[in-house]
Amino acid sequence: MRSQLLGILVVAIVFAGDGFAQTGSPDGWLNPDWNKPAITGANRKPAPRRSLTGMWAPAEGPGAGTQAQGVQLKPNNGRPENELPYTPYGRQLYNSHRALEGKDSVLPGNDNDPRNRCEPLGVPRYNHYNIRLTQFFQDEYKVAILYHYDNRWRVIWTDGRRLPKLVDGGVEIGGELREPRFFGYSVGRWTDDYTFEVQTIGMMPDDRVWLDSTGRPLSEQARITETFRRVDADTLVWSETIDDPKIYTRPWEALRMTFRLHDPRTDIQEYYCSPSEQENYNKVFGNPAAGTKGAP
Amino acid sequence: MRTALFVALVAVVVGVLATAPLSAHHGAAAYDVGKKVVLKGTVKEWIYSNPHCLLTLEVAGEDGQVVRWIVEGQAPNVVFPAGYRKDTFTFGDQVTVTVEPVKNGRPLGRILAAVTADGKTLGAASSQSTTPSVNQP
Repeated sequence: MRSQLLGILVVAIVFAGDGFAQTGSPDGWLNPDWNKPAITGANRKPAPRRSLTGMWAPAEGPGAGTQAQGVQLKPNNGRPENELPYTPYGRQLYNSHRALEGKDSVLPGNDNDPRNRCEPLGVPRYNHYNIRLTQFFQDEYKVAILYHYDNRWRVIWTDGRRLPKLVDGGVEIGGELREPRFFGYSVGRWTDDYTFEVQTIGMMPDDRVWLDSTGRPLSEQARITETFRRVDADTLVWSETIDDPKIYTRPWEALRMTFRLHDPRTDIQEYYCSPSEQENYNKVFGNPAAGTKGAP
Repeated sequence: MRTALFVALVAVVVGVLATAPLSAHHGAAAYDVGKKVVLKGTVKEWIYSNPHCLLTLEVAGEDGQVVRWIVEGQAPNVVFPAGYRKDTFTFGDQVTVTVEPVKNGRPLGRILAAVTADGKTLGAASSQSTTPSVNQP
């Protein structure tokens, strides 16, 4: 009898303590819950100290992170307030990009977006490309972000190491030249118990990566500052500022998006860029839609 | 030929769509944005795959001519919340699909809505915010 009561108690604690409402959960495989109740004074819980751990997604729903028309705060729609402060070289570079999105978009098959060759998007474009269910893990040395698109992940070091020095051709670490990387070199620190600031440098040169799906450029001279502010247990605000003197005349803010905590057991569907699937899509649909080669 | 293709359509509605899908992968430049075409046809193939799902339909026109349409949705993870699954369409199903056609007159489009063989109604095969964006100007 005592063991039965204990068992009931354990079950009650387990199911009462996770704090997540069960939605569609066929055979335990949880579907994403995109209809969560709003956070109000009644259900707001305090944020944990110095923790970003969890599965996060745009609070406004699955489409809010798409950013098809360009970075969230500056969509490439031709409005004067969204015009970026290009340097002459930056504008020349932008004009050389043939994007499938934005005010200067071209037809499918006529683009030169590295994404369509399944190239890694790099930092910070992963922040601006269909960002949906995004997992954060951390230990005493680092924070890891697992992006949904293409199952990509990055590491932000928190063990006190310094940000490398940005130099021609890459970064300098311990007097040695290190190679540029798609994800750059990131270090982060807690500026208070609920605010995590990340600096990233040493990304790929401007012939390898774009900033967003409308062909805005980014160069190897870029310095990205991200701030993650844990507003409460269920809410995270992810901000990003771009400082790239080769491309832009001044720093500017590209992202300030609110994310909502999701059940950590949520099943995430694959969202790979597969070269063979890409090729088949272009053959069957993309090229005919653009009026170029292919069927039907 | 182009005329023949459009004779095959059950209905054509022109107008600005209040719920135009958010393009997410391959852009909107190819589409005749605002045009809506309703297709009633027979499913030949449903590819539930990245980068975009593709539905092949055979649509018979009033003159008996059968036109093969290929219409797209977004990637599986994007259309999943809208109810699209791997077996939403199967070979031989009789379905009704509302699409936004491409500009060049070919029988291609993107899915705005669908009524499956068992009568289930689905919305756009694209991503939508659950609430209007407050961040994008």
